[in-house]
Amino acid sequence: MRAEPSDPARLEAFLARLYVDSDARAEFLSDRGRAADAAGLDEAQRSAVVALDAGALELAARSFTHKRQHARALRPQSKRLPWFRRVLAWLYRA
Amino acid sequence: MRQLSTGDRVGLSWRSEIAASILQHLDRVDVVELIAEDYFEAPARRVRALSTLAAQVPLVVHGIGLGLASASPVSEPHLDRLARFVNRARPESWSEHLAFVRAGPIELGHLAAPPRSEATIAGTLANLRRVRAVVGSLPALENVASLLDPPGSDYDEASWLSAIATGSDAHLLLDLHNLYSNAQNFGFEAADYVQRVPVERVSVVHLAGGTWLETDGSSGQSRRLRLDDHLHPVPNAVYALLEEVAFRAPQALTVILERDGKYPPFGELLQELTLAREALARGRARRREAEPVRHAG
Repeated sequence: MRAEPSDPARLEAFLARLYVDSDARAEFLSDRGRAADAAGLDEAQRSAVVALDAGALELAARSFTHKRQHARALRPQSKRLPWFRRVLAWLYRA
Repeated sequence: MRQLSTGDRVGLSWRSEIAASILQHLDRVDVVELIAEDYFEAPARRVRALSTLAAQVPLVVHGIGLGLASASPVSEPHLDRLARFVNRARPESWSEHLAFVRAGPIELGHLAAPPRSEATIAGTLANLRRVRAVVGSLPALENVASLLDPPGSDYDEASWLSAIATGSDAHLLLDLHNLYSNAQNFGFEAADYVQRVPVERVSVVHLAGGTWLETDGSSGQSRRLRLDDHLHPVPNAVYALLEEVAFRAPQALTVILERDGKYPPFGELLQELTLAREALARGRARRREAEPVRHAG
């Protein structure tokens, strides 16, 4: 049985959004308290995120973006579609 | 010299860019570490080829996408794929990070340090029980690097890691460049951390390199942060930490050099393996010298 699963999960979700979503990050940095309240963080979590180092947050977010792009580039091209799907994809390509 | 008399081993992370060079130098590579997720969508013949590789060099498996350290449960589909791969590859051991990688619908795509709290300790222990039930074994747990001190943390990193290691009975994978980076970024002593974690549980050690980034601090003053990028040579401070771990750990260690890009000539990676062996040897020699003192005490 986990203690209070909702609150810590909410903080993780809030951090995750700051890492991946530049609009959410900009909104947070323009009014930290309001963003924390909107995310439903409790008082202790709110205080913790309001004190976040903005420069470190930006670098961390950039690092996540870079690593996601790097991982996509490295993803093995092993799952070749069957020939008929490749033809369909070619016919209906955007 | 390849094998160290202590049973310690030194090897490399397996990457396609250096695979041929690794195979040509198996006399100097004691062990190879595979990334589990690289094989989730691989054709069956590529997975079958691992048995050929395993016949030549011991294999360990490293997971990067489970998201163990979280107040939320691990992804069951990811856990199932990991379990299938681990049970098919039959590595000597496997490892995962103490990180969260997703939150609800958001996939971070990489490892994030979670808030170090009672809730994440409890969540991680629950996740590890689930992992053991599905995979059949526990991973060695790796400390992660971070540029941001996780908000909402009630524990320092060494205490949090120790609580999870002792609570789960899992081994540890101590990433010494992650430790070095966090020590630089958050102002603690890396050597003190090594003394405080249950070093007798460390089975695997990671070595890597990184770079410095400049940021404007909250006070407006510029400061440097250490990024663990696996793209640069291992700094001397990390070899010094390896020596310290070898001094303190009674058990044999498996040391893996991680390199993810900007590959230098392979001879330079072999030289880094040599430096790792030398650091291990220095630590083991200090340990032998200290033995009579310990026994007398």
